[in-house]
Amino acid sequence: MKKAIGDNMILKEWGLDKGLELVKQAGFDGIELWLGDVPWFQMSTTDSEVGELRRKVDNAGLVVSNVSTGLHWASPLSARDPKVRALAVRIVEREIETAVLLGTDAILLVAGLVTAEVPYNEVYQRCLEALRPLGEKAARAGVRIGCENCNAEHRFLISPREFWQFLNDVNSPAVGIHLDVGNIHDTGFAEQWIEIHGPRITRIHVKDVMKKRGRCGDQSVYTNLFLGDNNWPAIRGALTKVGYDGWLVAEMEARYRYAPDLQFHDTAQAMDRLISGRL
Amino acid sequence: MGITRRRFLGYAAGAATVGLRGRPLDLWRLGRSVGTSRSCVLLDLKAHGCLSDSVSGYESVLTSAGVRWMRAEARSVSPARGAVLIVPAALEIPPAAVQAIVSYLQAGATVILESGAGFAAGREFRVHRVELRDYLRVRVEAPVQLWSAHTSSQGIPYVDYSWPHSAKVRDFSRVVPLGPQAGDVIAWVDGLPVALKRHGGRGTLVFLGSPLGPALWAGDAEARRWLFDCLGEAGGCAEPAIS
Repeated sequence: MKKAIGDNMILKEWGLDKGLELVKQAGFDGIELWLGDVPWFQMSTTDSEVGELRRKVDNAGLVVSNVSTGLHWASPLSARDPKVRALAVRIVEREIETAVLLGTDAILLVAGLVTAEVPYNEVYQRCLEALRPLGEKAARAGVRIGCENCNAEHRFLISPREFWQFLNDVNSPAVGIHLDVGNIHDTGFAEQWIEIHGPRITRIHVKDVMKKRGRCGDQSVYTNLFLGDNNWPAIRGALTKVGYDGWLVAEMEARYRYAPDLQFHDTAQAMDRLISGRL
Repeated sequence: MGITRRRFLGYAAGAATVGLRGRPLDLWRLGRSVGTSRSCVLLDLKAHGCLSDSVSGYESVLTSAGVRWMRAEARSVSPARGAVLIVPAALEIPPAAVQAIVSYLQAGATVILESGAGFAAGREFRVHRVELRDYLRVRVEAPVQLWSAHTSSQGIPYVDYSWPHSAKVRDFSRVVPLGPQAGDVIAWVDGLPVALKRHGGRGTLVFLGSPLGPALWAGDAEARRWLFDCLGEAGGCAEPAIS
């Protein structure tokens, strides 16, 4: 397995160049690029600018693990407004285009957003309708779409069986799951999600979670690896069982208040221990 | 336009004021031979309709219930083909669609015209409003965002239908309320009139200012029952074989 970290962890004041240098120094193999979340990678970023971005990643001795985006929180594929939905589709298309330009074969999206206003059944149908043609588009580009399990946050596809059925209904080999082992909270067990989804896992986000806390003000439920309640030996065992040998991508919500560069080093070392199984 | 306002008003003025009645509901059930090709026609507005999930909703429900229906473009619609014309999620209503609606009403059919303008703004909505007013004499007000006034403590702004039977159907965030006009208001939400039934020509026009199609698509059982009762009232397509 290889390890990466999101470029949204790079402090804005550092800039991309310094950030890439830190990522490399910390021991990561790659970087996850977040479309729309960082100044250097926006929807308005041109193809040639994306090419320049790739050169910077190459020059730092890294590769792009995958393209992700948080833009679907504001513009979900499940929106009732057809204009918002069209924008959501365009975001996915741009992810696919840039993945090709950046030399990676996976993108992340948040499949749908259940709210008090937009109910579950509508979200389910609308996401299917959006993902089927997007799956075909991704397949033609040689890219796999990973729908992230954001269980508590998007209130959608909360159990692994629901997610499994959803992917069955999409019925595209180019559409799988970008599994986040921290997002499952107290609704299940990451190792069971890994076993159920196996070959459909496109990438894995790693972070730890304090399952009993719940969100409270600005207190995050997420924490650094090995500080929370995830059963890491079980997760490691499940990865071996299903033969997952792809990217592990660190996604921290809570940052170090001091010495923020140290978080990169600590996280990379923790991921090394996870990969090696020395837990 | 393929039809002038004068011509439409001529149709309407010369028509009887009662709708088509009398086709027994059970004749339209699945598997029964009715000796007629009249059924339900779903008007495909393509780029002029703005809610694909509404079209999908009607399609899936009509199909799963075994109703005889067909999807047709406005240019190819003939009144002889159907007892009911459904126009899902209309935004811009092109001349051929107006012509189809009017000819269905003239032939004594029921037309269910669903506005898809809840999310429209500016020119898009103005055009929609003018077309409804000038060619179908339906007066609507600007779209209303239901959820801006709704907190969780106020509950869900369900659309309450009173005809053909009382039904509570999930809202679709925005509605196109009715203005003052002739006809029977058959649905309300948050005190706003949002659906109308009116005789037109020899037929009946049912205008929906809150789209039903997305609720059908999402599997809302009450929306299905409402639709089938509506079709039954129209003397066509009747009850679902599969509920």
